[in-house]
Amino acid sequence: MPPPILTGFPHRVVVGLAELAVSNNPSSILTTYALGSCIGVTIYDPVVRVGGLLHAMLPDSTIDNAKAQAHPGMFVDTGMAALLRAACQMRADKRRLRIYLAGGARIMDDQKLFNIGSRNLAAFAECLRQENLHVNAEQVGGQVNRTIGLSIETGRITLKVSGQTQEAVLC
Amino acid sequence: MLTIDALIRNMDSLPPFPRNLVALTQLLDQPDGDVDQVVALIQYDPALTAIVLRLCNSAYFGTASPASDLHEATTRLGFNGIFQLVVSLGASALLRPAQKGYGIEAGELWRHSVTAALIGKCIAQERNDNPSLVFTACLLHDIGKIVLSRSLEAQYDQVLAETKRCQSPMVVVEQSLLGFDHAEVGGRLLERWQFPPRLVEAVRCHHDPGAGGEHARLAAYAYLGNMLACFMGFGCGHQALAFKCRTEALELTGTIAEDIPRYMTNAFYALGDLQAWLEIHS
Repeated sequence: MPPPILTGFPHRVVVGLAELAVSNNPSSILTTYALGSCIGVTIYDPVVRVGGLLHAMLPDSTIDNAKAQAHPGMFVDTGMAALLRAACQMRADKRRLRIYLAGGARIMDDQKLFNIGSRNLAAFAECLRQENLHVNAEQVGGQVNRTIGLSIETGRITLKVSGQTQEAVLC
Repeated sequence: MLTIDALIRNMDSLPPFPRNLVALTQLLDQPDGDVDQVVALIQYDPALTAIVLRLCNSAYFGTASPASDLHEATTRLGFNGIFQLVVSLGASALLRPAQKGYGIEAGELWRHSVTAALIGKCIAQERNDNPSLVFTACLLHDIGKIVLSRSLEAQYDQVLAETKRCQSPMVVVEQSLLGFDHAEVGGRLLERWQFPPRLVEAVRCHHDPGAGGEHARLAAYAYLGNMLACFMGFGCGHQALAFKCRTEALELTGTIAEDIPRYMTNAFYALGDLQAWLEIHS
């Protein structure tokens, strides 16, 4: 009896908190759930069809280098570096990357004391500046949880906001 | 006009919080929790005893040789372990269902509450506070939502419009539409279930810990557990982060804002246990 073969079905890869993943498998859909004040970054090279997703929790790895080494995806700076490196190893070209950003939600904090979300967004902007890259679209801030997905076959980005039943296509 | 008490009385379908679990929380008010007292409270409940033994021998809690009786299980887990396990068992039945009025799907409120409890416990251990007390306050902080969800369900569109229009915290929207909020209702519910006053106050003031009087510190832990769970993506429902910044939560717990990222990285490791806790059910 031949072994069962799974073809024609999208393969959903769930990227957890402080994780990142890169794929060139066209049947993969990279998804990360519930970003909160964390940021979710997708990168995609449409020529070689390589895409990646990062779910970073905190802006700056210097608070704990040991944890940054064990979990580079925990921090925006080390996470972005690892994401770009992994995608380029799969022959993605930085100049062709489409970059999308979601998350960075915050509580109602006029004093900006608990502003992890805003600091994550600022750290992300700094990473792009250093790499001379630009973000193509973003859905950030506010008080909502967001879930984001990237199709490796098409580069399509989907976004779902907590409390809403419908998933929206970001691009 | 609907009153909180009328609202709670009308919740016929609300499962009761098991009596022995309420009695168990009374032990938290004693300086040193005693394992024997825990055994005395749960040994006459065969269903609960069976669940505790099953969980104690599960992959997460288990050791090489399985515990054969309740006393052995409680001795192995210790007072804090057994307490947190049993109180989670009691809370899971209440917190698992969907809360449509808030746009919360089945399992989401349970996941949020357990996460807040594990984060709160993590901070309490570092601050040398009672981990089981903080765990319980954080676990139950949103219990009022299970009462208010039905009332808000009929007005959900209005809730959405109101939060969008005013950019208001959820508790303010609840107060303007219903006359009270989920924190107040949660406190009243625990009071009716005869929980210790400190847990009642912590839940009642988890969005305004400064108002918690002598129990303000515990309320501050519930605030921080809730906030960090939301930051880490374990918030739930519509406008999950729509609540006010309360800087007094830091002063009350003796922490500083710069500690927050460190608490989040520590909590990340504590949440490695999350799946085991999420699977707790009776």
